[in-house]
Amino acid sequence: MIELLTIVYLFYAFIGFYFLFLYGLVYIRNKNEIFSYPKTIKNYSLSIVVPCYNEEKSIGGTIESLLDLNYKNLKKIIIVDDCSTDNSFNIIKEYAKKYPRVMLLKTPKNTGKAAGAKNYGAKFVNTELIGFVDADSYPEKDSVKNMMGFFQNKNVAAVTASILVKEKEKFIERLQAVEYRIIAFTRKILGFIGAIYVTPGPLAIYRKNLFEKLKGFDEENLTEDIELTWHLLSKNYRVEMNLASQVYTVAPNNFKAWYKQRIRWNVGGIQTILKYKKIFAKRGILGSFVLPFFVFSWVLGILGAGILIYRGARRLLVHYLATKYSIAAQTAVLTLREINLAPNILIFFGTAFILMSLFYTLLALSYLKDKEFKKMGLFSVLMYSFVYVLAYPFILITSMYKYLKKKRSW
Amino acid sequence: MPKKTLNSKESKNTKSYFWQALVLTVIVFIIGIFLGIAYEGNRLEQINEYYVLSEISLMDALALSRLTDIDLNSGIMNCEVLIQANTNFADRIYSEALLLEKYEESGKLTEALRLAHTKYDLLRTILWLNVINIPEQCKRNVSIVVYLYEYDSEDLTKKAINRVWSRILYDLKRDVGNKIILIPIAVDSDLTSLDSLISRFNISSYPALIIDNEKVFLEIKSADELKKHLK
Repeated sequence: MIELLTIVYLFYAFIGFYFLFLYGLVYIRNKNEIFSYPKTIKNYSLSIVVPCYNEEKSIGGTIESLLDLNYKNLKKIIIVDDCSTDNSFNIIKEYAKKYPRVMLLKTPKNTGKAAGAKNYGAKFVNTELIGFVDADSYPEKDSVKNMMGFFQNKNVAAVTASILVKEKEKFIERLQAVEYRIIAFTRKILGFIGAIYVTPGPLAIYRKNLFEKLKGFDEENLTEDIELTWHLLSKNYRVEMNLASQVYTVAPNNFKAWYKQRIRWNVGGIQTILKYKKIFAKRGILGSFVLPFFVFSWVLGILGAGILIYRGARRLLVHYLATKYSIAAQTAVLTLREINLAPNILIFFGTAFILMSLFYTLLALSYLKDKEFKKMGLFSVLMYSFVYVLAYPFILITSMYKYLKKKRSW
Repeated sequence: MPKKTLNSKESKNTKSYFWQALVLTVIVFIIGIFLGIAYEGNRLEQINEYYVLSEISLMDALALSRLTDIDLNSGIMNCEVLIQANTNFADRIYSEALLLEKYEESGKLTEALRLAHTKYDLLRTILWLNVINIPEQCKRNVSIVVYLYEYDSEDLTKKAINRVWSRILYDLKRDVGNKIILIPIAVDSDLTSLDSLISRFNISSYPALIIDNEKVFLEIKSADELKKHLK
């Protein structure tokens, strides 16, 4: 009888291979279209809303990059100050004075969430399309223009771009730079099967009429961008992404900020899963793929962490006891003959999976490399592939705990 | 940069990707599992070959023991030959057991190696019985060390103790060489003959060590301490 743990490991390998093959197949069939996008024929009117809370260091740069966009029909750049306590308001005021397209709004009181400021700003938009840009993000000059062509398909409700990390000085930033590139590439792959599950805050554009119809962002949700995307998918609208449109954003530059951000993302993820649970396994891409994908990621992630902790703790304890007794018995603490190098089926599957994942990682990075990327080095890529991703199951467990304890805050 | 039309994209049948990926994964998995079973089967074949050779050695040692009564007094055979045959056999199955244990640890798909382990335990039980029957005059300079342990124990303390005892006995064997016949046997092999043999010693817990079928140790401190109890 095969051990239960072996069956669990084989199941994990199966799921892992399935997604690698899925991404691989989609990539092979569409590799010539990775960077392509429909030509813009109609000049949709557009307003961009920027929620801002205590972003004095970056808001100026964000406004300037928006002013620098080469999309002709960008009517308004609405900066919503969510009652900042730093100098953000005055900085925005100066830009609003200088540039007529820049509009300064201030929420009546601090909403406490980006969704609140975004919804507030959306009330002042009367263009065909509404875009959102985070106050610490910097869209490239032609990013918005090159996203517009997708809206010619009447079923497309939202379009997003490649989110890349702006600063790559610190190690944690370099790891995120690798991660963001892989996410951007994967999101594009998912776009070919209509399964983009998030229109992230750094740059996303929606049809204004649909945005209103769906009552905008859910202010109770910590990941309002995921929630709105799922809302659109649940109504069978399509979400697109232009990999060639790039926006640079400031990623957390210390562990604490990174940890807090990831917890927020995951608690928001739980909120969204629970909100749409009735659609699970139903027709449509949300019920048949996106939602099951999220749920299985959660279950497998937490189960994996549990197994890892259990097995690791047992091994450590046996090693500790054996070392203690060995020292007392004046015998070798570790002998070569105890090292088992005999491979097995799990090692074969594991090695194949790691190699394929590494290949996928390098493939994704090769599509989004720039001069700065060379500085990142192989070390960051390997650290990302073999260490960074291992932190995720523990983030999932903490997020679950925080969700259950109702500790939900920005 | 090539520009595309929306129509070409919309025409793609996205559903087929999911099915194709599933079929591909199933194919890779089936091939992988079969290769895995074949690989483990190869190891089993290797162990079985060793086992047959060990069986021949054991039969040889048994035959020698039978001859003992007849030939010892007539001087046709001396004790050294008899002890050497048993020691060689014990050493042989000891090293084979180490290999088997490694294979078994990494074996994930078949139970055949577990059965091979039981077969080896039976072989070692027969060896133990055989050395018990060796005339005392031949065992004057040789100690019989039987190491009894629980192979399937989930108790972490026992696992750690087993590991350390195994190291101590390895050191002992290395130090004294042919002066001991070391016979490690897993007590949870479900062998009636082994259970009956062990019941003679009133052992309350495992691991346990029996030296010269007289002294039972439930605790050992070091290889040096054990040396004091050898002949």
